[in-house]
Amino acid sequence: MELIPRATFRQIRQERVEEIASARKQGARVVGYFCIYSPVELVQAAGAIPVRLMRGGQAAEEAGEKYLRADACSFCNSCMGNFERDQLYQQVDAVLSVNTCDMMRRLPESIERHFGIPVYQLYMPRTSEPLPHRVAEFRRQLDGLAGELATLTGSAIGTERLESEIAAFNRLREMLRQASDTRRMNAPLLSGGTMLDLATTTWLLGPVKAVSLIEEVLRILAARPRRESRRPRLMLGGSILTEDDRWLLDMVEEKADIVTDILCTGTRWFAEDAPSDGAPLDRLARFYFSRPCMHRRPNSAMYEYAQKLAREFRVEGFVYKTLLYCDPWSFEVRRLQEALGLPVLHLDTDYSTENREQVRTRVEAFLETL
Amino acid sequence: MSERSLTSQAGRTSPTPGWADPKPARVTFDEWQDLFERVPEELVEEYHYFPPNREAFSKYLFPPQTFAIYGMRHLRRLKYDNSLAALRMWGFVQNETERLFRARQLGRRVIATMGDLGAVPVIVNSFPDCIAFYPDCIWWTPFAMESRVLFDAAAELGIGDATCFSRAALGAFAKHSYFPDPDLVIASTGASCDDYSGVEQLVERFAPDMMWVEEPMRCDMGRMGPMGPMLVKEYERVVERMEKLTGHEITDDELRAGVRQANRVRKLVKRLRELAFREGAMASLEMMVVEFGNLHHYSDITEWPHVLEHLLATAESRAAADTPVVDKDALRVVWVTPPADPLLLTYVEDAGARVVGTEYVINQALEIIDEDKPPLEAIAESFMAASLIGTSKARAQSAIDQAREYRAEGVIISGIFGGSHCAMEGRLISDYVKAALDLPVLEFDVTSPSREIALQIGTRIDAFLEVLRSRR
Repeated sequence: MELIPRATFRQIRQERVEEIASARKQGARVVGYFCIYSPVELVQAAGAIPVRLMRGGQAAEEAGEKYLRADACSFCNSCMGNFERDQLYQQVDAVLSVNTCDMMRRLPESIERHFGIPVYQLYMPRTSEPLPHRVAEFRRQLDGLAGELATLTGSAIGTERLESEIAAFNRLREMLRQASDTRRMNAPLLSGGTMLDLATTTWLLGPVKAVSLIEEVLRILAARPRRESRRPRLMLGGSILTEDDRWLLDMVEEKADIVTDILCTGTRWFAEDAPSDGAPLDRLARFYFSRPCMHRRPNSAMYEYAQKLAREFRVEGFVYKTLLYCDPWSFEVRRLQEALGLPVLHLDTDYSTENREQVRTRVEAFLETL
Repeated sequence: MSERSLTSQAGRTSPTPGWADPKPARVTFDEWQDLFERVPEELVEEYHYFPPNREAFSKYLFPPQTFAIYGMRHLRRLKYDNSLAALRMWGFVQNETERLFRARQLGRRVIATMGDLGAVPVIVNSFPDCIAFYPDCIWWTPFAMESRVLFDAAAELGIGDATCFSRAALGAFAKHSYFPDPDLVIASTGASCDDYSGVEQLVERFAPDMMWVEEPMRCDMGRMGPMGPMLVKEYERVVERMEKLTGHEITDDELRAGVRQANRVRKLVKRLRELAFREGAMASLEMMVVEFGNLHHYSDITEWPHVLEHLLATAESRAAADTPVVDKDALRVVWVTPPADPLLLTYVEDAGARVVGTEYVINQALEIIDEDKPPLEAIAESFMAASLIGTSKARAQSAIDQAREYRAEGVIISGIFGGSHCAMEGRLISDYVKAALDLPVLEFDVTSPSREIALQIGTRIDAFLEVLRSRR
């Protein structure tokens, strides 16, 4: 039996969307953001509501093809589609985007052009070595963002408020780590699917409510009897996986346990806390600069991260799901397979649902080999 | 071979002593071959790469057939400018692989500058006995040869078909036979596309020595610029690394000389563009080769300007005599890439159009570098000013400006299916152009280089040109 029914997460999210809509009517401003490089602390400290834009899905993707080409990544297409059809996206007053891959570099321009929503675009250096001038440039950009956010909300970002938000988000990260770490045990009770739902829900709720939710989940977990049967332990990775990809996780977890991941919607967001020494904006600059991602160059930190998790969580196989035309992740499959020394199932698909039974065949064949 | 194209005395425009160009025309491979046979031996002996070297090995005015014999069989399907200057240019460009290996034999350092978009070679070439080359340009190889060997090698390393042709560079590194293993790979990333960046990452395993350089994109939205100071610091790192490699401490004067050298090329190309677009004095195929030369000067910064000067003298004399190589009344189009397939350029000109503006993926290397500023700052500034490293709107604006300047009648946007930025920017650029100008826009993807133009693309180009014609 599922630890937390999916319907419960859906309901929590729906209630939160309605709450945001209501707050917006009262004058609150909503900032939609992408990816783990967006400094949510800054958004919240400006008094805006940060919401991560991370819905996928076939219908949204098809709707988005009105604006982008079919060979744009499915996530970008679905994002455009969601601005047209999703209640949450329609609450967004401004978009915060960080230059990561080519697609995400140009998506904000399409959003601005087609939906007239103002965009704040941060340049995150693509090189990963934290040389002082690179971090300083990102720090300068955060400064600029702080000014833009203050203009949006009419409220300047004070140091005290920012410190408080950094602490709050660090607490959220810590709690998500705790939940995720329960999967270190031989037969984990928390499934990869539930973990994904939990993480995506907490980003919508904001840190305070999110921490309460995780505490509740941890209480439920503690009360559950241990599971005896041991199944293959898998790691998940690749392009962004969203709540709309839950079907894949469920499919895999019919016969295996997803015990960790290297996803931007998973452990990579909460793997570490923002540091506590130095001025708040300096800390945020250092922190976000150091987050690993496959698109950074060189991407050795990403490899080290994957190897560390594989070792610590005793991973036996790797499910690697890329979106069609996602170069940063798909180019690395062979190399990653060599580096991890694990059996890898690589799935390269869009959000269409027609191929699910083919995916099932491949998943089952892969699990049999384990 | 046509009498008209080679033997007519009318419109002789060659500025070369001992040689008179035939009346300007675009000729076939076979006609080009015949033309070469008329070139006096003294002229064949005249041109050498790596001047002032005059060793026999460094001649490059080879018969055009040479390159086809060595596998560049797609060359047989193109049409070429029939001037000696163009013949010289093709010989020089096709000779680049040999030149790079020869450079190594001569004890020069061969530096691969990847994904840098034309700025880093200015620094590298300022160092004595160093040659910057651009492995990414290997992406043209499959456009000239039928073999898929480079794509297959890239596929074995993890990059399949649904991506940019730049993956050929990865194959070339793996094969170790298209250029010598570089002494240093300077891999730039940031503004360059995911495909290039991904190729660079996978090249790392073949590179004995590699440094990563941040060349940022300009965020036009959100008023977050400028990023110049960061870029200057990155260029200082390049200088430091080059000094360590060569043991030569570079002076400000040497860097300034390097900038002047690059500007000499850029100014020549700027003038050639003007003559090609306004006067039809050069055809689009040769102009594409000319523009790409701004990236790294085909690995010979000393000889490439001479080749350009020869082309420019030819174009100037054609303009003065009003003897264009392409019909000035042909339909005028601006071309936005990547990529412009050589076969397609030939096809479009054969179908009665000419290119009067380009927004190629190298246009940041067209910017003139300010010679009065500190060199690294000036190089950074010229880089940051380019349309390509900004938004799609900036690229569209460049196309719009050229379309206005040269009274274009249509805009062609050619992309690559699965190319990381084509999918996002093709439609945006098209929208911006349509909103600014009352011009038809044709957007299509260039398929994997092959023997023939895909019938569908041919049909679409024909229909597009019919529309342009009907609007006259």
